[in-house]
Amino acid sequence: MNKQKRNLLIAMAFLLPNLVGFLIFTAGPVIFSLFASLTNWNLQEPKSTSYIGGHNFVELIQDKQFWTYLLNTLYFMLGIPVSIAGSLWIAILLNRKLKFMSAYRTIMYLPSFTSGVALMILWKSLYNPDFGAINGALHSLYGFFGLHWDTPQWLLSTKNLAGLEVESVELSRSQFGIGARDAIMYMGIWAGIGGSNMLLYMAALTNLPEELVEAASLDGAGRWRVFRSIIWPQLAPTTFFIVIMSTIGGFQGGFEQARVMTGGGPAGTTTTLSYYIYSKAFEEFRMGYASAVSWILFAIIFAITLANWKFGQRGLNE
Amino acid sequence: MKLEFAAAFACLTVVSVFMWKSQPNQSVQGKTPLVWTSDDNPLRKEQIDLFNRQHQSLNLQLDPNNQGLEKVIVQSLAGVGPDLIDCRDANQLAAYVKAGIAWDVTEELKSRGIDVRAQTWACMHPTAIYDNRVYGVPTNCAANAIWLNRKVFEELKVPIPKTPWTWQEFIALSQKLTKRDSSGRLERIGFLFDWWNAYHFVATFGGREFTPDGTRSDLDSPQAIASIQLMHDLVYKYKVTPSPVEESGMASAGGWGSGTINTFGSNRAAMALGGRWWLANMRSFKGLQLSVVASPFDLVPACSTAGRSTLINARSPRRKEALEFLVYLASKEYGALINDQADGISAFKAQSAGPAFENNPRHPEETYNSTWRQVTETAVGQEGSPYINGQVAKRIFDKQLDLVRVDAKSAEQAMKDAAREVNEEIKKKLAEDPILFQRWTSATGHAP
Repeated sequence: MNKQKRNLLIAMAFLLPNLVGFLIFTAGPVIFSLFASLTNWNLQEPKSTSYIGGHNFVELIQDKQFWTYLLNTLYFMLGIPVSIAGSLWIAILLNRKLKFMSAYRTIMYLPSFTSGVALMILWKSLYNPDFGAINGALHSLYGFFGLHWDTPQWLLSTKNLAGLEVESVELSRSQFGIGARDAIMYMGIWAGIGGSNMLLYMAALTNLPEELVEAASLDGAGRWRVFRSIIWPQLAPTTFFIVIMSTIGGFQGGFEQARVMTGGGPAGTTTTLSYYIYSKAFEEFRMGYASAVSWILFAIIFAITLANWKFGQRGLNE
Repeated sequence: MKLEFAAAFACLTVVSVFMWKSQPNQSVQGKTPLVWTSDDNPLRKEQIDLFNRQHQSLNLQLDPNNQGLEKVIVQSLAGVGPDLIDCRDANQLAAYVKAGIAWDVTEELKSRGIDVRAQTWACMHPTAIYDNRVYGVPTNCAANAIWLNRKVFEELKVPIPKTPWTWQEFIALSQKLTKRDSSGRLERIGFLFDWWNAYHFVATFGGREFTPDGTRSDLDSPQAIASIQLMHDLVYKYKVTPSPVEESGMASAGGWGSGTINTFGSNRAAMALGGRWWLANMRSFKGLQLSVVASPFDLVPACSTAGRSTLINARSPRRKEALEFLVYLASKEYGALINDQADGISAFKAQSAGPAFENNPRHPEETYNSTWRQVTETAVGQEGSPYINGQVAKRIFDKQLDLVRVDAKSAEQAMKDAAREVNEEIKKKLAEDPILFQRWTSATGHAP
């Protein structure tokens, strides 16, 4: 056996445990779920499982709940641009050469270290309409300006800023206001700002050629001009990556919040597609249908990522 | 490189073998282990200890972390499920039976002289009997009644209400007992209830979840609508019970038992809807003076119940041993323990009667035990329908109830929508299942 072959075997041996794990615990179930989506597999009636072709997908298209929960998911994703912009802003601030910068950086990254469930419980109490800190602050603010407005009921209200109806994909004036959907979105923005996006931007800013910024400053460019013409274009590959990952995360997200904070309510207004998949699979035991929803979710994510890739790449090249 | 790889492999192998060898042995001194998924009620320990003392060859263990329906079904189908499973309502029983997890113990119990249908309270049958076959033995029975905080009644010089009474009389009393400050904040709650007890209200109005043959939802009946309207009005019209906003401000610190029990136990409410099992928590509240009366009603004296039955996992290799636990649940010693602990009342009618039950010398202040027996006689169990997955029906009902609770929809519209959605789901199910379709058409005499 020559050295090249020996090295290849050693490399394969190192890769094997991971590869076997991937095949058994990831690729296998993914392929299995594709087959499951074409059956009426129900854990309650496992003996009557049979092939039903695309029936689950046809049912899904007619399923009002699916569309409502897809809309909920998209609503929560409205916070993604804000959280990306926030991450960039914080990263720029933390990229300055100041005393105690390591401490500031640690503080900003702290939410990512903390248990998600603990954070959600904290937010739940912040959102308490009577005793929560947020409404407390709003009360003081309203009082300062002499306003007699009602404070939002946050997680207890079906209202939302877009005026989306509760049980259908429609808009309604009566639903306009601030409610559970907005509360979850704001929390998502907060969690997203100080997380890994900020770290990615900080890494990208560290790699930025300083001479470009210095040259522009010498030529009389102001801060905004430097940001718009030098920093932002240089950060484009990072932004592109963050947008793609955040979009994927947004479509897959919302499960923990629904499970811990709201139970998907009130009246399903905080149920996202991932929670719907769980509910169909493990509350109603319709594994076939849940698999179909998972594959449609995958198709949506794949299509949007492709579109991002196509148009984003064009932007990068320009 | 080769050496490093071999060393890492050897190291991992040694660690794996060590972990495998050092895992705790479930079998204690040659005893057969039995795993029971139930809640982590502190009373469970004494119940388990008594069983283990009586059965020296068995070692019953509690597993409170895997009691969810989904966990039990998935784990059981994967061959790692518990031996004994708690079942809380007709929907759960249907799910366990259909999944092939509940063991049909009709003949086994008969041969041991246990007749669940004749010996236990009727309200518990939906948790143990499915399609005329017996799958479990009721573990306890917890009919709902109205808890009264006697201290509040004495302070306000309001007499303890006489039963039977109507909801109108109840509302008038609740308003008298409710106290709000000048800004409208609740200082004393007139009446406290959990919204998941909605079927209690439905039952007292003579309403039902399904028609008697289970072929359609009955949530749009005038009785069901009136009962949900009452729940809404208690919050928003009569303001005797906390709104969702006020409720969220009362969230308890956690632990076993619900926030409602702790709120009532801490003298913040005059009356509350609950079962005898609340005493498991409330006995520890100092200075609490309690009384109990039957629930008000509109048409028929009735109440809902919150007991459990225990089933045997059909896939357990220790089914015969697990059967000993069901026999234990029917024993006088276990019944006496349940009555003494106040974990509801014994599910066996004969065991929840007599002087020993009515006057517990360890708790002489509990002079109202006979009331629990009386309310249990009128209690109704939660219904199910063979034509719809109980979890789907529950999801639909809960969603509409949620809208009423946050005052986003009228009770009438919500219940009509709930009934319509449930009936649509039934139709969908019938289209998929020809056997069910035939059963439905022969029950109704017409096509869906």
